[in-house]
Amino acid sequence: MCGIAGIARREPNGVNPDVLARMAGALRHRGPDGYGFYTSPRVGLAHVRLSIIDLARGAQPLSNEDGQVWIVYNGEVYNYRELRPALERHGHVFSTDSDTEVLVHAYEEWGTAMLGRLNGQFAFAIYDRRDESVFLARDRFGVRPLFYAQQGGALYFGSEVKALFATGEVDAAPDYAGIDEVFTLWAARPPRTPFRGVSALEPGCWAVWKDGALRVRRYYELEYPDAGEEPADALVQLDDLMRTGVDLRMRADVPVGGYLSGGLDSSITCALATASSPYQVRTFSVTFDDPRFDESAYQRAVAEQIRSRHAVQPIGEAAVADVFPDVVWHTETPLVRTAPAPMYLLSRLTRDAGIKVVLTGEGADELFLGYDLFKETVVREFCLRQPRSERRPRLFDRLYPYMGDGGKGEFWRRFFLQAGSPDDPLFSHLPRIQLTSRIKDFYAPAMRDALAGWNAEAALRDSLPPAFKRWSRLNRAAYLEMVTLLSPYLLSSQGDRMGMAHGIEGRFPFLDHRLFEFAAALPERSKLRGGRLREKDILRRWAGGIVPPMVRERSKQPYRAPDVPAFFAGERREYVEEALRAPSLEEAGIFDPGGVDGLVRRCRAGMATGARENQALVAVLSTQLWYHQFLGGRDGRASASPPLSLEGADVALFAESAVAQ
Amino acid sequence: MTEILERTRAYVRDNFLYMRPDFVLGDDDPLLAKGVIDSMGVMEVIGFLTSEFGIAVADEEVTEENLGSLSAIARFVTRKALKTEAA
Repeated sequence: MCGIAGIARREPNGVNPDVLARMAGALRHRGPDGYGFYTSPRVGLAHVRLSIIDLARGAQPLSNEDGQVWIVYNGEVYNYRELRPALERHGHVFSTDSDTEVLVHAYEEWGTAMLGRLNGQFAFAIYDRRDESVFLARDRFGVRPLFYAQQGGALYFGSEVKALFATGEVDAAPDYAGIDEVFTLWAARPPRTPFRGVSALEPGCWAVWKDGALRVRRYYELEYPDAGEEPADALVQLDDLMRTGVDLRMRADVPVGGYLSGGLDSSITCALATASSPYQVRTFSVTFDDPRFDESAYQRAVAEQIRSRHAVQPIGEAAVADVFPDVVWHTETPLVRTAPAPMYLLSRLTRDAGIKVVLTGEGADELFLGYDLFKETVVREFCLRQPRSERRPRLFDRLYPYMGDGGKGEFWRRFFLQAGSPDDPLFSHLPRIQLTSRIKDFYAPAMRDALAGWNAEAALRDSLPPAFKRWSRLNRAAYLEMVTLLSPYLLSSQGDRMGMAHGIEGRFPFLDHRLFEFAAALPERSKLRGGRLREKDILRRWAGGIVPPMVRERSKQPYRAPDVPAFFAGERREYVEEALRAPSLEEAGIFDPGGVDGLVRRCRAGMATGARENQALVAVLSTQLWYHQFLGGRDGRASASPPLSLEGADVALFAESAVAQ
Repeated sequence: MTEILERTRAYVRDNFLYMRPDFVLGDDDPLLAKGVIDSMGVMEVIGFLTSEFGIAVADEEVTEENLGSLSAIARFVTRKALKTEAA
């Protein structure tokens, strides 16, 4: 796992290696083990390396046999060993055992069609000297990030936005619509980002830059075919997909560990990792001082059963506040939850234990309908079919038991019943969208003006694929969860960014595209079963004997972390005070100082206990930190990453025109 | 009843509408549908009614009919207070 960056210029004026060194410096946390550069008269590539496969010979940038095709690559292609023989039969000569080189030759052999053959999580850039083009690609579900900007006739790209800004050639400015999407959907929706002029390459897409123009195409669509009965051999198929999916993800020349939340999904991945590993597997968990969030009893049960060497990262309120500015720096976006912070601390613990690669359970809830949102969708539709029924809405009282008294009663039920019509394509997500959107009550007048004519919900409706209207209500919900939450928030802010902050690569067996396609084709009752709406039913049926019964039978517990108390219950923190002061708010111009003053007053008094104010506080604070880190200049860390020295690079190949600058 | 309504209005303004100073809240406006309070907010409102007016609110009384608007709250509190006095 690594970080990549580069520049492609329309004219052959050269790319200054010092600029590449600054880009690489901004990404150093992603690849602490080595780095390299390449320039031609038009194109410059930079790479920072976390060495996992072919430790001795896997340095990048790396080329084909005659130096005409160059790659910088972040991620893993797990089936590289299976692809290599076919390429060798076509005459390609390999000089390393890395998956990187397989991609170079695959590109030569199959062009953009290579992507359909890859099973993995990746983002890469290939420079083809033969036609002076740059080919960018990103994996199907968006596990690994790739951002780009076009300015002054040049293309800038990188694993993180900070690499683009490090050039000094890409303007940093807020994208108000992108910010508004965060406060609607929890994240900006690719290709949009919270930065104006900076785009995220969408999951399942590639782009080709040539002659100063960029062409973007989708190579992978999420599809939900009409499902009949559950296949008779469904459990056999699932068993094969799970085991091969984990086996492929254990491929590494370093030990692979596991994140263990105590839920069903990560318990499965950790258990299968144990079965597949020649080492005693190391597992890592966060535990919470607050018993409402804590799952340590389940974690211990799994660790004991699979005999892993288990380590825990305790999370108290102070821990979240301690690292929150660093978390925002790495996520590069305003947030509505503090949940990334424990993941940041977990990756630090993992790195300190000497592990670079971990399996994690993300994706299972989207594939097998694990989230409460899916049950909520079923219950809302059930109630709206008989609006006069008094009994049906009582089902809402059972949906969120951890909400206490606020999660039941007439007001609670009416909120769901009034949230929107089943005819709305976004039906499943309207309660969440409406709750999240309460953050906008705190917008400054200037922010409201900047958003005139923009509507994040309408933009999402307009973006839906033609097939969407043919899908069932639950498949629509699953699709929306994949594109609005999984990729841009969970895999990014809680996934890639928190892992790579400490050089930890997450691997996701549930996001093997073969498993996704299997799950998408199952009937819904295989996933959400019976009157009690048992979530992930087929996964539970299959997991007997693999995970302890107490884990197999437990209900889904949402992963949450402390928010308002983290910043107000303990010692006063100067950065919190500073970020929420009127001058700092006025400078950013996004939130209204008067409203924030009221929020802070209620937070200090211990009165801000509901979801609305908790998310508002996290939104305002993270936005302020983000703004001043990346745009406002009050926080100097944007210029604090030193450029990497050109002399220390593992690969340093510079065109004469570049060196002459 | 007017006094109960105005004290409740001031409470709702200070605690639920402090970030929306221009928001016009009519006596009969539905608090839930207008996005003023949600089910967690109702718990807070009940805490206020209990401490401010000395009434107890049973679970089955937490309905939109009783607590759905400022005027509904004022009617409910008045009725409860009368019952308490009569007892």
